[in-house]
Amino acid sequence: MQAPSTTRSEILLGARDMLPMALAAATYGVAFGLLASQSGFSFLQSLSMSAMVFGGSAQLVALDQLTAGAGVAAAIVAGAALNMRILLITASMRSALVQRPWWQIATGVYLATDASVALMQTAKNRGALASYWYLLGGGALLLLVWVASTSIGAVLSQGIPDPARFGLDFAIVAVFIALLPGLWRGRSDLFPWLVAAGTVALFVVLFPSLAGWGLLLGAISGAVVAGLSHDN
Amino acid sequence: MTTEIWWTVLGLGAASYAIRLGGFFLALRLPQSGAWARGLDALPGCLIMALVALMMIKGGVIEWVAGLIALLVAAKTRNLPISMLAGVSVVAGLRLFV
Repeated sequence: MQAPSTTRSEILLGARDMLPMALAAATYGVAFGLLASQSGFSFLQSLSMSAMVFGGSAQLVALDQLTAGAGVAAAIVAGAALNMRILLITASMRSALVQRPWWQIATGVYLATDASVALMQTAKNRGALASYWYLLGGGALLLLVWVASTSIGAVLSQGIPDPARFGLDFAIVAVFIALLPGLWRGRSDLFPWLVAAGTVALFVVLFPSLAGWGLLLGAISGAVVAGLSHDN
Repeated sequence: MTTEIWWTVLGLGAASYAIRLGGFFLALRLPQSGAWARGLDALPGCLIMALVALMMIKGGVIEWVAGLIALLVAAKTRNLPISMLAGVSVVAGLRLFV
């Protein structure tokens, strides 16, 4: 049983470490809210989608499919394909979730995003494993910012300057790139990473509209190569 | 359209939650050592690498230059906000002048 003060400080630390990612997500959230309301989503619909799906690229793709008239099923499949990579993230959150009561597991997986990888990495750089409450604090802040920024975009819906003019659309890309040096564990990572990147590249060239599956296949191929190699 | 939107929101929301829960239960069933554990340990790095590769394919020369600078700054400082700022400033600057 943890002392409440430890729980509280872990939650706050997680929220603090999430701030840069939350900032990057906010620009994306405003953009989604804007697009959604222009595509005929009501305020409540945009809000619900951000709260329930909690994945920017998946939401944008589903929105795109709907407005293209592809139908509900196609929109769900396309969005789910992009969110499929979160399966790999909750899998790697295992040690923080295991042996927790069911409702904490239910909440913990709900808050898992790409940014959770960043949090786990930040904790690791500090020499500790990311704890449950640390991930919860970060995830809760991100969800809050995500839903709030979606609402702002949905309400304003016009008159916002193009974020691309300020390079803000690059913020999320920069976050992922900045994670790479910390994730690099040494030369044994080289081949798995090349396989992951190469698989995505090849897949996207062959099937440009199936990027979500390419991501999943790339990450899994890299992990398989790492698993099968023996120079541990 | 509005009914269609609601079904998509609910359907994709349910699918996303099932995916999140599924990953955890999948990991519970995987062995804790050997090849499976090595693969699982390598997964975060491979996933982020795959994401970056995808984003770089979608980008052009400006994004490649900014990405390289963000990577160098991150390798040097190991500081996420500073690296993010470097990447965003380079993109904004280059878009202004190129």
